Amino acid sequence: MTWIVWRLQRPLFITLAAGIVLAVGGALLLRAVMTADIAAAGLADCVREGLQRGVGGACGSRQVMEFQNAWGNRMWVAQVLVLGLPVLVGVFVGAPLFAREYEQGTHALAFTQSVSRTRWMVTKFLVTVLPALTAVVVIQLAVAHWVAAAGELGPQQSGPFTAISFGVAGVSPAAYALCAYTLGMFVGAVSKRTLVGMSLALGAFVVIRFVVDGFRESLGTTTRVTFDDPFERVDKSAGLTVDGGWLTADGKEVTDTSRYDFSDCATKDSTTCYHEKGLVKSFYDIIPADAVGALHLAEASIFVALSAVFVAGTVWAVRRQV
Amino acid sequence: MTDEQLPVRADALGKKYPRGWALRECALEVPAGRVVALVGPNGAGKSTFMGLVTGLLRPTTGRIEVFGDTPNGRGMHPAVSYLTQQKPLYPQITVAETLRFGRNSNPGWDQAYAEELVARASVPLTAKVGTLSGGQRTRVALAVALGKRPRMLMLDEPLADLDPLAREVVLRTLLTECRDQGITVLLSSHVLAELEGVCDHLVLLSEGRIQLAGDVTALLDGHVLLVGPLGVPCPAPPASVVDVQTVDGAQVVHAVAHPMPPQHGWRSLRPRLGQLTLAYMRSGGSAEVAA
Repeated sequence: MTWIVWRLQRPLFITLAAGIVLAVGGALLLRAVMTADIAAAGLADCVREGLQRGVGGACGSRQVMEFQNAWGNRMWVAQVLVLGLPVLVGVFVGAPLFAREYEQGTHALAFTQSVSRTRWMVTKFLVTVLPALTAVVVIQLAVAHWVAAAGELGPQQSGPFTAISFGVAGVSPAAYALCAYTLGMFVGAVSKRTLVGMSLALGAFVVIRFVVDGFRESLGTTTRVTFDDPFERVDKSAGLTVDGGWLTADGKEVTDTSRYDFSDCATKDSTTCYHEKGLVKSFYDIIPADAVGALHLAEASIFVALSAVFVAGTVWAVRRQV
Repeated sequence: MTDEQLPVRADALGKKYPRGWALRECALEVPAGRVVALVGPNGAGKSTFMGLVTGLLRPTTGRIEVFGDTPNGRGMHPAVSYLTQQKPLYPQITVAETLRFGRNSNPGWDQAYAEELVARASVPLTAKVGTLSGGQRTRVALAVALGKRPRMLMLDEPLADLDPLAREVVLRTLLTECRDQGITVLLSSHVLAELEGVCDHLVLLSEGRIQLAGDVTALLDGHVLLVGPLGVPCPAPPASVVDVQTVDGAQVVHAVAHPMPPQHGWRSLRPRLGQLTLAYMRSGGSAEVAA
């Protein structure tokens, strides 16, 4: 069984291998060129230190702007590509997996051999999912390797929690790809039409990503940071701010200040004024930057659980008698 | 021994699609070692019946057993080979790879036999399946079906897309192999002529119901073909008449055999299977069924 799946999917595997070679080769080449650019412009320190700390120094200079103009978009495009890979896997690998067999009628050939339908389904699933996920992860790592060379001058400066940076790091691409693939496989097996399966997989996966994105923050464990000065802000690199506000002397949270009258604060020191009104501290609930791995795992577990549901659904669809 | 287990036994079997009943109250036994023709006009329920045997379809009513087991969605009965109307094969792989697929997915596979069947059809093993002619494709599909060494071979309109010469060759190959090995054959067709002299058991379906079923010799013995002039009443009792036609100024009557008085001008002949089946199809099941 493994052999025939491998044989039938050979064009796909060749495509995936070519994609890996192109992506890895391209990323390495671009990284080399970019590193040479950084060295030529004398920005090596800024890669480590970032812009903030270098304001007024070399890192606030024209060279940095030129570097970011030249390389910012390229890295952005590469990361968006990695972000889009799971969708491509779902639409072009997952959806046709069973839909095409039903469309060509070749499922009847498979169903009339002495192999159980479940085994046929599981073999097709496993033999195809492993190369697809491998391709996604290898391309993810190649692009990450390139982008990391830009350090604080690249996307890293915005922290690991932006929609793009989060989606292309850690276990996320693999989890998204697995979910998109199994979703495509499931809707393909149910609809029995390649085009319908591909469209449904695309639409449904975008919706799933959108929904999970909406409550991702609530999956992380937050740490509370408090400041005695109500106007002190948490450093952006510390982590992702989930909630924030002020604390009264007895520790009550105040996030809505509309019932306070601050009109008399204009003439006073604001900090003192806030203290007088009982807002003695400011607080921030953040997911610390070093907890990003845990957040990746928490979100990935949702996608893996969805994948399990889709695999079970595919088993049902393949075994169902109409 | 499994000899007591009939290849197929159906009881009150029915299948309803959203658009209506495709098969109703079908009670049927397919005897072992016979060549059974499943005939009927388009839409009579032939493919539905075969789908129920494979387990691809689930009966709405009644039950069906294949070699004693109830077909389910897990997979087809290992003793059954099924060749559908479309004869699906993977077009992108070669004939040799197709046989390898058969070997990998069937424990009782007979590689030498399958290769011999392909060789006898003069199909090159290195050819891509997608490049073969309709006849060659059918021969390869047949090799896959027979290489499995089944106890029952089920063929849904196997000859529909072949030219007359290929039809004859394929049919002859098929029957030689099956008779030699005692394989039960269940063959569906709406072309009656090609089944004459081939099948020894007949099941006639019409509008989802079994209209006629039985051993071919017994069916032919049980009916008469009466030919007589116009204007002279037919000697057969009206209830026994299956169908009356007027051909070239003569009445042609198919009837269930009964003792009947000789009538001037009428001749009694042995009916032919094709004509008898057609007569039943035209009558729509009004006469009493003998078997």
